[in-house]
Amino acid sequence: MKALIVDDEDLARAVVREHLAAHPDVEVVAECANGFEAVKAAAQHLPDLVFLDIQMPKLDGFEVLELLEADGRRPAVVFVTAYDQHALRAFEAQAADYLLKPFSKERFEAALAKARAVQGSRPPAAQLAAASRQGRPLERIVVKDGPKVTVIPLDRLDWVQAQDDYVLLRAEGKNLLKQQTLASLEAQLDPARFIRIHRSFILNLDRLVRVEQDSKEHREAVLRDGARLPVSRAGYQRLRELWEEA
Amino acid sequence: MHPLLANRARLGAYLLGWAPLVALMAVLGASQGWSWLEAASLSLALGLFGAFLFLTAWYLCRALPLDPKGGLRAHAPAWIIAAMVMGGLWTGFARLLAWALGLLPGLHQLPVRIGPATPVLAVMGMLLYLAVLTLHYLLAAVERSRESERVEQELRVLARDAELKALRAQLNPHFLFNSLNSISALTTQDPARAREMCVLLSDFLRKSLRLGERPSVRLSEELDLLRNYLAIEQIRFGARLAVAWEVAPEAEQAEVPTLLLQPLVENAIKHGIAQLPEGGTIRLRAALADGRVELRVENPVDPDAPEPQGLGMGLRQVKQRLQGRFGAQAWVEAGIRDGHHRVDLRFPVEQP
Repeated sequence: MKALIVDDEDLARAVVREHLAAHPDVEVVAECANGFEAVKAAAQHLPDLVFLDIQMPKLDGFEVLELLEADGRRPAVVFVTAYDQHALRAFEAQAADYLLKPFSKERFEAALAKARAVQGSRPPAAQLAAASRQGRPLERIVVKDGPKVTVIPLDRLDWVQAQDDYVLLRAEGKNLLKQQTLASLEAQLDPARFIRIHRSFILNLDRLVRVEQDSKEHREAVLRDGARLPVSRAGYQRLRELWEEA
Repeated sequence: MHPLLANRARLGAYLLGWAPLVALMAVLGASQGWSWLEAASLSLALGLFGAFLFLTAWYLCRALPLDPKGGLRAHAPAWIIAAMVMGGLWTGFARLLAWALGLLPGLHQLPVRIGPATPVLAVMGMLLYLAVLTLHYLLAAVERSRESERVEQELRVLARDAELKALRAQLNPHFLFNSLNSISALTTQDPARAREMCVLLSDFLRKSLRLGERPSVRLSEELDLLRNYLAIEQIRFGARLAVAWEVAPEAEQAEVPTLLLQPLVENAIKHGIAQLPEGGTIRLRAALADGRVELRVENPVDPDAPEPQGLGMGLRQVKQRLQGRFGAQAWVEAGIRDGHHRVDLRFPVEQP
C-alpha cells in the first residue's frame, strides 16, 4: 500500500511517518509540504492513501482532494488538522477519516484501518468536492493539466464553455480544460457575478460591455476584449432580470 | 415624538406655566374696563388655544436645529416669519372667540371690546410664540446631551467588551493544538527540544494569563511575550519563519494596551507565513514620535491568494480597542503593498 503525507509542517509529517513505520506493508512514497507538490506526487506515484492537512499554502486540502484523481482512481484520504470545524465538510467529501492534531496511536490506527476498508471503488473526486462546497460560493478554481496545477482566482475568469464532460475555462487569454459539467460549476459560482447566458456558456458579468441583437432571435454578448459569445433567449431573460434588480 | 406631549408631567408643567400668563391677560383686560367675566373667559380660552397651538414650535425647532458654529442669524428670518404667522393665527382666533362668546348671556359686549385690543394681542401672540420656541430649543438641547451621554456609555461598554473578547481570543486553540502536535512529534525525535517547547509554551501561557489581568503593560513586556510566542512558532515552521525586530529603546518603556500586538502577529503567521511555501520574514517595528507610540507589523503574503475582504476579526478588535480608549487620537491603517501586508498603529503614550 502506497501512502502520501501532505503537511506544510515538518514535525506534523514526522508524526504520521513515525506511526506508519509500525506498518511494513505501507510504503511512504512521498512527503509534500504544499498542495502543488501533493498533486504532482499523486500523479507520479498513484498512492492508495493520502494523509492530508487542510490549512496549507497555495492549495488547501479540499482543493488537493479535488485534483487527486489520477487515471480514474482516487486514493483514500485521511484529513489531519488542528481545526475541527472542517469535519462535516470532510465527510461530505467522503474522506476516510478526520484526525485532529494531536492524536493518539490508537486513534491513528483506527484511521488507518478505516482507510484500508474504504480503499477501492469510489466516486470521482471533482463531483464530490463540488458537492461538499454546497452553499459556499467558490473563490477560485483549481485545474490540473498533466502534472501542472493552475489556480484561477474567479476575478480573472472571463467565461466558461461546456465541452461534453469538460468545461473550457477562459482566463487571461488562455484556455484550460477541467473535467466537470457546466451545471455543477454553475452551482458553485456566485449567481450575482456569473450568469448562464447560453446552454453552453457562463459569463463573468464584469466582462460584459453590451448585448447586440443582429437578427430577430439571435443575440451576442460583446466582451471587453472584443470577443463575442452567443446569448440565448433564456440567457437574455436572466441578464434582464439582473439589470432590473440593479 | 413631541417632547412635551410624550410626557404627561412635562405637559402639566408647561400648561401650569401658562396660568400666570392667562391671569396677566385677564388683569390687562380688566384694566381696560372689561368686566371680570369677560376678561377671564376670553383669557382662559385664548390661553388654552395658544398653549396647544404654540406646541407646533417643535417642528420648526426640529427642522432648523441650532448649529453651535452658525450662530442665531441664519435661522432668524424663519423664526420671525413663523412668529408672525402664529401671532396672526392667535389674533384671528381671539376675534373668532370673542364673537362666539358674545352669543352667551353677560358676554355680548366682547365682540366690540376686542377691536381696540387687536394690536396688543398680535404682539403678545408673537412674543409668546417666540418664548415657547425658545423653550423647545432648550428641551432639544437637553435631550441631545442626554442622548450623547447614552451613546458614550454604550461605546464604553462596547470598548470594554472588545477588550475582553480580544483577551480571550488571545488563547487561540489552534495555536495550542498545533504546538502540542509539534511536541508530540519531538518527543521521539528530539526529546530535549520537546522539553524546550513545553517550557516555552508554559511560559507563554503563564505570561499571557498574567498580562491579561491588566489593561496596560509596558511595551517591553508585550514584546517579551511576542518573542516567546514566535519562538514556539519557529519550532513549528522551522526555517520558514524569520522575525526582524526594529524596536527603538525609548519605546520599550511606553505603556500600551495589553496584548495589542499579539492578534496582529498571529494574523501575520496565519495569513502570511503559513500561506507561503518558502515562508518569509515578519517585521515588527516600534517607535515613539511626538508623544505617540507607533507600531507596525509587516509580513509577506501570497500574491495569488484572494485579497481578504475587509478587516479580519483580530484587526477589527484591535481597532475597536484603540478607538474605545483613545477615540479620534487612535490611528489604524492596514493594507497590502508590494506583496507585503502591513498594519500601522498610532496612539498617544499612556501615563502609567
